[in-house]
Amino acid sequence: MTPKNPDIKKRCINLSELPEDGLLEATAHAKYPGQHCSFRAVAGTVPLIKNSYALLLGPAICLYNAKLSMNMRSLTSDPRPNNLLFVNYSQDDIIFGFREKVREAILQADQEYHPEVLFLITSCLQEIVGEDFDACIDEIRPHVKAKLLIIHTENFTHEGAAPGVENMFKSLFELMKPQPLVDKTVNILGLWTSTARKTELARLLVGKGIVIKNVIPSYCTPSELQAAPGVQLNIVLDQYGLPLARMMKERFGTQYIYARKPFLPDSLEKWYLEIAGALDVDLSVEIADLKKKTEDQITRARPVLGGKTCSVSGISGRPFDLARLLVRLGVEPKVMLLQTVLPEDRPDMQALLSDGIDPIVFRGDNSLQNEELLAELSPDISVGAFERAALAGMGIKPVILSTSNYLLGFESTIEVLRLLLEKPAGLDALMYKEKILVAGEC
Amino acid sequence: MDLKHSGFPVPSDYFGVLWALSGIKDLLILEHGSTGTCNYNAFNYMIMNRQSPKGKLFTSGMDEDDVVMGRDEKIKEAIFELDRKYHPKVIALVATGVTSVIGLDLQGIIEEVQSTTEARLLSYPGGGFAGDYNLGIKEVFRSLVNNIAEETIAEETISENTAKESDIGVKNAGKKTVAEGIAKKSAEANACTVNIIGPTIDSFNVVSDLAELERMLDLIGVRVNTVFTCNTSVNKIKNLASASLNLVTRDIGLEAAEILKERFGTPYYYGLPFGVHGSVQWLNDVAGMLGLVLERRVLKAEVERYGFSILELVNFLQNFDHLRAMISCPYDYSLGLAGMMREEWGIDPSLVVLPTRPKRPDNMAKLGMLNPGRLLIEPDSSTLDEAISSIDPQIIFGNSYDLKMAGNVPIKIHAAFPAFDHVYRYDGTPFVGFRGHAYLTQTIINLLNQNPEVFRN
Repeated sequence: MTPKNPDIKKRCINLSELPEDGLLEATAHAKYPGQHCSFRAVAGTVPLIKNSYALLLGPAICLYNAKLSMNMRSLTSDPRPNNLLFVNYSQDDIIFGFREKVREAILQADQEYHPEVLFLITSCLQEIVGEDFDACIDEIRPHVKAKLLIIHTENFTHEGAAPGVENMFKSLFELMKPQPLVDKTVNILGLWTSTARKTELARLLVGKGIVIKNVIPSYCTPSELQAAPGVQLNIVLDQYGLPLARMMKERFGTQYIYARKPFLPDSLEKWYLEIAGALDVDLSVEIADLKKKTEDQITRARPVLGGKTCSVSGISGRPFDLARLLVRLGVEPKVMLLQTVLPEDRPDMQALLSDGIDPIVFRGDNSLQNEELLAELSPDISVGAFERAALAGMGIKPVILSTSNYLLGFESTIEVLRLLLEKPAGLDALMYKEKILVAGEC
Repeated sequence: MDLKHSGFPVPSDYFGVLWALSGIKDLLILEHGSTGTCNYNAFNYMIMNRQSPKGKLFTSGMDEDDVVMGRDEKIKEAIFELDRKYHPKVIALVATGVTSVIGLDLQGIIEEVQSTTEARLLSYPGGGFAGDYNLGIKEVFRSLVNNIAEETIAEETISENTAKESDIGVKNAGKKTVAEGIAKKSAEANACTVNIIGPTIDSFNVVSDLAELERMLDLIGVRVNTVFTCNTSVNKIKNLASASLNLVTRDIGLEAAEILKERFGTPYYYGLPFGVHGSVQWLNDVAGMLGLVLERRVLKAEVERYGFSILELVNFLQNFDHLRAMISCPYDYSLGLAGMMREEWGIDPSLVVLPTRPKRPDNMAKLGMLNPGRLLIEPDSSTLDEAISSIDPQIIFGNSYDLKMAGNVPIKIHAAFPAFDHVYRYDGTPFVGFRGHAYLTQTIINLLNQNPEVFRN
């Protein structure tokens, strides 16, 4: 189905029409909310590094928001340690320089909080003003006990958060030192949760005698990161950790495998076999068993889900592989709402097209345009992150995958199936209310 | 240097601008900056009663070329798109930190494109460097009463207001309204209407407090024309002069009220009703200024229903006059709560904390008359922490950060922004007015009963 609204129609392309560079046209000049920035992503991530504090150096706008994000996170099942400190970049600092204030703050943070590592996180302003921030930090290094790691997060050079998050990973490289290689050990790069060592991947590897030295950036200490290059293999789960893995290989010879999170049982099998192969362990029995259980679940879910349509957005992992899983369930993906398409998505895209599925691909960073499109396409389900009330108002069932994001392996796919089959608590009441509100507008 | 580990970085004037503009219908906000700033806002509105700026706030999505070259194409295209697609009456252009640093002239852009847009364009160039959020709110108030408010009101608003005219409990003493003759058309239509000036979308407990203020005004037959700015529209702002009186609920609304008085002759009354005493006085004062009378039977019914004293709710072994209380709220709430605590509960507040210094000299004197044990203004985190430790209060009214900092205080009541862990959407939990007195007195008793050790001096 092609949307009728001309403003929306002209920004819709089918997957088969996606240009080589994977860039999606902006859906509006006046955007809301747009993509989130590096500063926010980094401020939300550095608390995961143990024995560290972070000095956030930015204007009051960014600092206030960062603190609030941390506080909101503290109210969830996945709170982050409160290690954020704030230095306001004022107008006077822009005019007269920020160096002295930063110097004073570093000394104070070092003396009051005694961190092993002190992250120094810049915002857009330092980069625009052009003060030689790194030189200022170099001057102070000898005067503090903490290891100072700078993370640049300017947002105006890139619409998304990727460069800043990559910088965060790369900053950890500063802690690493050459190590003797220890066989049967791995680091997992790109898993952001306190439950990383409880995931199916971790359990299976540990069951085969593999030692997981670090899950980066999730709750490793600076001394553990120092020893990180000594592992047999870095397993890189997302694109953000890839530059660090490359640097570790180049400097320390640490091998890595880039293995983004899949969803389809066949993809999961291949993913596991590649990891097992790289570590020279045999997971074939375990994988076959897990695959069969997952296939059985899919068989049971098909009669319930078959014939439905969906939109897909906000996925952690391989979005087009998730779309293929949905197709296996008999659910037609009408549209993929995406921020960026990575070159490594190409094989999954091709496989989807080969299955005869050619969904609309639409840049998903503008809520109002997304809603206009979904109102026209009217899918039964929205898979991924989206606003529940807005979807309920359109009669679309929201399926938010946040709990599956914390899982790795077949367990994640089984969780996706559960989320697709079950209704979230409170959803009936929300949809009932929204239906009344919509009816009242007519 | 306060590194704000346990406190919070005070939101800047940029936020005040956004929050003061967000409650205005037919007005869209377009900020000129990177998308990350806007995306962050989508999140931070959530902490204010789970609100969302969707459909209200937009960003131009500035990029590196715009910063380096100082280009303004993106914001112009965004203005034209908003104007064409959503037909707002006003588009407010708001600077972010980046815009301010590169020195982009938003007013210059307005002069260039205003003739080609249907929407009126306004600019707010502070970009977060002018000061705290109160300054941003004041800037918006000033700009709207100077640029949008008009002397002659639109016909559509007259008919809208007339249709909503209340006839409950009115006893007009026949006095002339002060505004009469200045905004003639409006005076004819709205002899018993007031504007409420001060509440913005960030105001703590605003849903319940406004409901109570409107209910109380209804007792004397007065209707609220508009709430400037948390629940208003461009038309309503145009027609601010149609009200007979402006009720200012917090100090940052005073400047706007002064301007309205100067431009249209509309008098204003400043203050919030806390406790039974405060509510009676407020209602009598407002009625008096409008030439109305608060009927005794109406007052009796209110006090019978909501005026129960704390003494009626405790028994003779529940001593509470030794309790130490801390109030950490903006000036007007602090003043009201301190007064109520002293007059209605017999408890002198041991510590009053103001996040910003009141601008009017007599404000400090008013607070001083309530004899707070200790007064801190804009304290840093360590000073506040030390004060809480030394006073060791049993009761605290404050924001979410204060309540977290006061981990050992048994009775914690959210009473100020920011309240990131507290929702106040239901309109039946006022702090102000007769119902506010009843709600707070009942709440404090219930919390004391849940922590009976506090009765043991």
